[in-house]
Amino acid sequence: MTTMADPALAADLTQYRTQCRKWLAEARIPEVPLSLTERFRVLREWQHTLYEAGWIGIAWSREAGGQGLTHLHQLVFSEELARARAPQPIGLIGLDVVGPSIDRFGTLRQRTELLPRLLSGEDIWCQGFSEPEAGSDLSSLRTRAEIDGDDFVVSGQKVWTSWAHLASWCAMLVRTNLDAPKSRGISYLLVDMSSPGIVTRPLTQMTGDQEFCEVFLDRVRVPRENLVGELDGGWAIARHTLGTERAAYTLRRRVEYEVALQDAIDELSACPTRDADPRRGYRVRAAVGRSHVALRVLEAQTRKTIGRLAADTGPVPEDSVDKLLLNDIEQQVYGSIADLLGPLRATPAARPLGLDVARWAHDHLYSRAASIYGGSSQIQRNIIAERILGLPRD
Amino acid sequence: MTDTLAEVEETVDAYLKRSYDAQRRHALTRCQGWDRTFLEEIADLGWFALAVPDEADGLGLPLSAVGAAMMSLGRHLVPGPLPERLLLPALLLRHLDGGGSDRSDLPGAVVALVDPAAHGSWSVDGGHVRGEPAGPAGSMLPVRFAREADLLLVVAESAEGTAVHLLSSRGPGVDVEPVESADPTARLARVTFAEPAGAGTAPVLTGSAAERFVTELRAWAQILAACELAGIAVGLVAETTAFVQVREQFGRPIGAFQAVKHTLADMYALASSLRNLCDVTLEDATSSSADELLMLAAVAKAYAADAAVRVCESAIQMHGGTGFTTETDLHLYYKRALALRAWYGDHEELTHRIGDNLLTGPQLAEPRSTS
Repeated sequence: MTTMADPALAADLTQYRTQCRKWLAEARIPEVPLSLTERFRVLREWQHTLYEAGWIGIAWSREAGGQGLTHLHQLVFSEELARARAPQPIGLIGLDVVGPSIDRFGTLRQRTELLPRLLSGEDIWCQGFSEPEAGSDLSSLRTRAEIDGDDFVVSGQKVWTSWAHLASWCAMLVRTNLDAPKSRGISYLLVDMSSPGIVTRPLTQMTGDQEFCEVFLDRVRVPRENLVGELDGGWAIARHTLGTERAAYTLRRRVEYEVALQDAIDELSACPTRDADPRRGYRVRAAVGRSHVALRVLEAQTRKTIGRLAADTGPVPEDSVDKLLLNDIEQQVYGSIADLLGPLRATPAARPLGLDVARWAHDHLYSRAASIYGGSSQIQRNIIAERILGLPRD
Repeated sequence: MTDTLAEVEETVDAYLKRSYDAQRRHALTRCQGWDRTFLEEIADLGWFALAVPDEADGLGLPLSAVGAAMMSLGRHLVPGPLPERLLLPALLLRHLDGGGSDRSDLPGAVVALVDPAAHGSWSVDGGHVRGEPAGPAGSMLPVRFAREADLLLVVAESAEGTAVHLLSSRGPGVDVEPVESADPTARLARVTFAEPAGAGTAPVLTGSAAERFVTELRAWAQILAACELAGIAVGLVAETTAFVQVREQFGRPIGAFQAVKHTLADMYALASSLRNLCDVTLEDATSSSADELLMLAAVAKAYAADAAVRVCESAIQMHGGTGFTTETDLHLYYKRALALRAWYGDHEELTHRIGDNLLTGPQLAEPRSTS
């Protein structure tokens, strides 16, 4: 970032980037297997390798087992990881979302017992927020937790829970008070996924992956000491969680899109028959140009995001503009590339124009989720209209 | 955006808020942007000297300062040969031998731009200016303010290379014929060079010096157009947001309806992302190589051409029937945006060129880092 206000920090980040590059150049970067259980195993080992080398929990405090550096250091590493075409560690939900919430709101025992295992990849976490009847309207969630002696007894259903079938822990929002207004009767519980009464059922995505699950909870006993924060005080933690996730996520994804476009350009540049038909040549150039423009727009947008991350402003309504643009641009970029596959899109083993059909068709389908998860584009537009432009609430 | 640029933008904006209202805009559009008194008023404020080098008695700011000024001028929709006056003397003086010490006429001159590249692939339909051994030949339609200008800055390209001429608009061999203009912000003309035009006056730049100048000229023309479009988009989002909060239907402000809210949210995302892109472009342009500058400028203009016109169209839609009439100034903003869209390449043309550059040209796509 050319606008980095603090020259000492800028120099430090440059040096840190050099270290990242050096380590990644020498590291054995794993191939990501297609089979889900194999992928889980390989990426968990990868997390452990990264952990041992000091690349996990970069912005976490030293007390929590992290490296005690800034969010910008974390971002530098994520960027270099993407550029090295190396996979992200498997425990991202724990590292980006659940862990920081436990660190901030959890008890000493929760922090000391759970966080080191979360960092090392020994425990993989999932997050049980959404429910079949509580999607965009999250605060209407119904999974019930009743106090019985030293335990909560939890019954209900969660959905879109990534890695639930393989995770050892789940950070879950549950209803603990039926009388309070919707968002004030919710608590944040840490649930051991090996507890009796939990059944998970993977859902198959349109990409063919089975990353997320339905989770059924039938009278699951959760010790009261696994409550994070106050009883009925879970909504504030959830908001904090969703807020901290966003800026870092936006910045990481931006670099991933840029790497993807560069890969596509490399594949296309190497294809001798690219311009065999002038109509096709025109389309190829237009698709690449359009994608590049979109990514420059995103880069310009995220310079302000980096400023907010550096200043630790916490979530602001402007994050919704980032999210809206991010989704739109992901879909534009992958849509533009996938359109170049033409009729050969249906044959994953083919390489029209040098493009890897299996990869681009998969990534294009995956991009359709972008405007749905983490607050749909419609929700973001409501936030922009009401909180930035000041239009009347519904 | 640096502090200096923000200060320029705010200074221009503050003056226009104070001294330039809808009535003045209407008076200026009635004469299609040609009003000597107004131009003298602006000249007295020193805006035309912003990027003129110190040695030529200018303020010596980088060309980015002109971009910052254009954002405010776009937001208030100020007609006239302002981009020409802000940019052309400042840029020429940077490139002429001896810092243009023998061209003390330049900072105060109205210079019209005769560059076939302004019309992209339409330059063939609008006539074609080319370089001949004796000087520029051919014709170009339309040229902004050619009739009113003191000087014509002519880019004449030929197989032998590029030459830049600076000709008197009333000199021998130069024929300027006014044509009807549907752009409320500009007077237009056809410029024809009878061979040999400008006989006896040598080009002011030739060879690689001319090529360097022309590269910068075209890049800055695109950047300024993008900045003006960003100003238009930001201005219309503010105006439309205010309108939907007071216009009532079905017993409540139309801004309470989700269909309207979502349109406004999209307008805001387009305008603010365009604005950010322009800020970043102005910030980076100063330290860029020629190749990087070309790419930065093409990207900014490509996005602006699309985003600002979409914002204008949504603004018109949100204003309902009134938006289609001349009762508001929306039509003026829209017509200006449409004229700017095609100036030095629209979205379609530029994305194609950018793609070509990435696939066959120098590698410009190394992802940008955080630090």
